[in-house]
Amino acid sequence: MSTLERRYRHLLRAYPPDYRHDRGDEIVGTYLDLADPRRRWPSPADAADLVRGGLRQRLRAAGATDLIPGVRLAALLALTTAAFLAGFWTLVEQSPPPPETGVPVFGPFASTGLVAWLAWLVVAVLVLVAPGQPTRLALAVAVLATVAVLLASPAAGLPRPPLLVLVPQVALGVLALTVDTHLPLPARALPITAVAGGGMTAYVLGHSNYWGSYRWTSEQLLPAAGAVLLVVALLLAVGLAMRRDWRGGWAVIALLTPVGLLSVHILAGAVDGLGGAPRPTYPTLVGAALTVGLLGPAVLPAAVALRRRIGNSPGEPCPTCGARR
Amino acid sequence: MDTPLREPTFLILTALAREPMHGYAIIGEVAALSDGRLSLRPGTLYGALDRLTDAGLVELDREETVDGRLRRYYRLSPTGDATLAAETERLRRNVEAATARLRARAARPLAPRTAGGLA
Repeated sequence: MSTLERRYRHLLRAYPPDYRHDRGDEIVGTYLDLADPRRRWPSPADAADLVRGGLRQRLRAAGATDLIPGVRLAALLALTTAAFLAGFWTLVEQSPPPPETGVPVFGPFASTGLVAWLAWLVVAVLVLVAPGQPTRLALAVAVLATVAVLLASPAAGLPRPPLLVLVPQVALGVLALTVDTHLPLPARALPITAVAGGGMTAYVLGHSNYWGSYRWTSEQLLPAAGAVLLVVALLLAVGLAMRRDWRGGWAVIALLTPVGLLSVHILAGAVDGLGGAPRPTYPTLVGAALTVGLLGPAVLPAAVALRRRIGNSPGEPCPTCGARR
Repeated sequence: MDTPLREPTFLILTALAREPMHGYAIIGEVAALSDGRLSLRPGTLYGALDRLTDAGLVELDREETVDGRLRRYYRLSPTGDATLAAETERLRRNVEAATARLRARAARPLAPRTAGGLA
């Protein structure tokens, strides 16, 4: 066995053992047929293809082939929500507290959050005009910019938006990273439309109000945004399920973490026994956010495992070669 | 399987319409059919073949071992044959309709504006 073949076989571990046993020789043989004989390592594209194929096969074995399209649907909804919030906060940033209040500001803006919001606005534009690699790169930059604002601002002594605002934006962004960037035009127009909607909402709601602080605004806006996101995802799931398309259910599960983080203030209020009252204690807020952040992502693999347990009949033959597992 | 077929699926079925083929040959045939635009990788190809087999459009034809490497040959099933024929007919009608419209547009001189201009 050549070094290259051994390395391909190592990567083949991404596939389930049964499938590997039935199809491994054939798959590795095809990679070797296509590879330059002087090559010693699989190309990065081949490695990614093998891992992707293995993941798809594991989902297929679990009867969860709709999961990847479902997560991609959730990613588009998450991206649209993130764009709406970025549009909203961009306007809020332009009304810093007056100097006489002594509240620290970031130049002419309320906080360093503006850097992150502008990065999200760039994403919304690129999704529309430059789908593909530029959009993926801009998405990664926007998520990193949001994390950087969260972590670096206190170290630099600069004001930043509260964690209540930044943490859900990071969660929405991480999910948005899986978006299919080659979408039809109406879907690609959603984020930029959401930016405009967010900006308009901020203008209409805050026209005559004091916007210098995120605090009051975020406590009102974020749970509402989370509720709308959840309702839209549920309606889509029901609509798609009526056509025997189950990806909407996976989308709802994938969105649980960002929706939970958007509503963490309400969850923490409920934990404090205040029925969602607006002033939960800080430790309860942190505890609720940690709980959502840890449990939320675990729901998806748990649902896949449950789907496998209830959906698989033992001894199912390989679909291609007919071999019994 | 849902129709209209996606382009890779359509081209895999088209490749198999000529004769049974193994994975490596299908990849080469799809690249040739698409003028090099579509370059399938094995992980993607075998995932697609699994789905097509599940849908009853493709069947296993035979197995061979060449230079110590296992090769499975796949063929179009009767259902796959019918699906490919129906999809090709649908695309042909679309192409004909679009071609007729474009020809008519090219032959017709641009109509002058008759209303709505500034006086």
